[in-house]
Amino acid sequence: MTTLLSTEGLTMRFGGVTAVDGVTLSIDAGELRCLIGPNGAGKSTFFKCLTGQYKPSAGRIFWRGQDVTGRDSFALARLGIGIKTQVPSLFDGLTPMESVGLALRRLHGEAESRRRARRALDRLGIGALGERRIGLLAHGQRQLVELAMVVAPEPDLIILDEPTAGMSAEETNRAADLIRELNREHAIVVVEHDMHFIRAIARKVTVFHQGKVLMEDAAGRVFADPRVRDVYLGKAVA
Amino acid sequence: MTPGARTGLEIGGAIIVAAVAAVYLPQLLELFALINATVWVSMAVLALSLGLVWGFGGILCFGQTAFFGLGGYTYAVASINFGDTTWAVPLALLLPTLLAAALGYLMFYGRISDVYMGVITLTTTLILFKFANSTAGDQWNIGEAPLGGFNGIPSTPPLNFPFAPDQQMVPEQIFVVAVICLAACYAIAKMVLRTRFGRVCVAIKENELRAELLGYDVRLHKLALFALSGLMAGLAGILFANCVFVSPTMFSLSYAGQVIIWVLVGGIGTLVGPVIGCVLVQWLTTYAGTLSWIDPNLLLGVVFMAAVLLVPKGLLPTASGLLAKLTGRGAA
Repeated sequence: MTTLLSTEGLTMRFGGVTAVDGVTLSIDAGELRCLIGPNGAGKSTFFKCLTGQYKPSAGRIFWRGQDVTGRDSFALARLGIGIKTQVPSLFDGLTPMESVGLALRRLHGEAESRRRARRALDRLGIGALGERRIGLLAHGQRQLVELAMVVAPEPDLIILDEPTAGMSAEETNRAADLIRELNREHAIVVVEHDMHFIRAIARKVTVFHQGKVLMEDAAGRVFADPRVRDVYLGKAVA
Repeated sequence: MTPGARTGLEIGGAIIVAAVAAVYLPQLLELFALINATVWVSMAVLALSLGLVWGFGGILCFGQTAFFGLGGYTYAVASINFGDTTWAVPLALLLPTLLAAALGYLMFYGRISDVYMGVITLTTTLILFKFANSTAGDQWNIGEAPLGGFNGIPSTPPLNFPFAPDQQMVPEQIFVVAVICLAACYAIAKMVLRTRFGRVCVAIKENELRAELLGYDVRLHKLALFALSGLMAGLAGILFANCVFVSPTMFSLSYAGQVIIWVLVGGIGTLVGPVIGCVLVQWLTTYAGTLSWIDPNLLLGVVFMAAVLLVPKGLLPTASGLLAKLTGRGAA
């Protein structure tokens, strides 16, 4: 299996605080990986290092074997990494069609971008909202619009930071179905702490605790592991 | 109507208005009024340049007058030395563009936040203001051109026809050139905003992080838009130098503040709004100057406060919104 993204000893320090501490992991093509951990485990900092929003203090990031450590977000996106942030990051003054079209214009001409944008919105079930102003949409719809922008350029890898944040139970179930469907064509990394959602989608799980990888294994074994339960319930981990 | 057709219609409308103004105003206005109108048009180009970079790039440049003044000074110095304005004009466009590019590079690639950008650009124009004020004396001559300190360069030659230094333009012709420049800047800005580059700039204004995560080099886009606005401001400086002489006032805080007011009054996020705001405020300033019972600055202050409180979006967006409601298109 081809390794798409990997890290070696990735470390991020803020003054005296080490938020991510020597994390080494790799994501293969076609994989669906969940990164979990309680609040403060270092997941989001790790996400920001992976996506170029933070420059790591130490360690390396590789994309298809090439060292991409310290590259800007736009450069990483151009490699074929689609990135969805925790709080929907959208163009509120534009319509979904314009926004998704813009995501595609870097790669395609005007007409083709519009055609693909329409298809992406339809695929996510929000085709009817295409001409509405994004600022007027509900939270769940905004999440889907952002997902459409991420998915439309057909990236090799999609990294999602808490994709169900603020979603209703019904929307979360739909998001789980959607992620499984997207995983047929894209490798996906989901950074999440909603365990119900993780159970619904997870195959392989990496557990973060205090900035380090506590364990990495198949979903079933991870959820059965007493150390993981202790981490979530606040008990000390040996 | 498709967005492309709408852009074409708007540009066509601007060309018609410019053509009518260029043909009829020189016949209708007396010389003093025509020169005054040329000043307003040059200021409108300056307002448009800020309207572009602030309204569509989200970059609050408090020192747009730095490029305006540099354009004027470069034009004056070059045209005096060359004895011909043919090459003075491109040089006076180039230097403000380069200054904007250099300043933009330091700010955008240095990841300076919005508030500090305003401070840095304002400081830049104030430094140039101080410097221009301190250039009295022969030691500050550039070739044959004296920078003149506080007095500036009163002997700025008017534009001549290309490669014909003996054929200098009369005020009527300079007015026509100024109107053409304003219409051209509007058309260029409109067309740029229709391109992928322009749309990315608008997207960056909406959400910088998202634009970057889509693979767009945010800093490069902002830099290019900033340089374009610097070029337009430099052009405004050239036009201004042709109807009012070049002096440090072009860099001053009062000018820097006025441009902001014009754009705010006219409406951020539009190109015509800043032009309307500029002309309205200039007209009001001139009118207030004729009144003996009120201080013009006090009147302007009241008008500005009223504009901010009553029409916070600016005149043009407010009027457009009202019109859309009246015609039923604002319901959605």
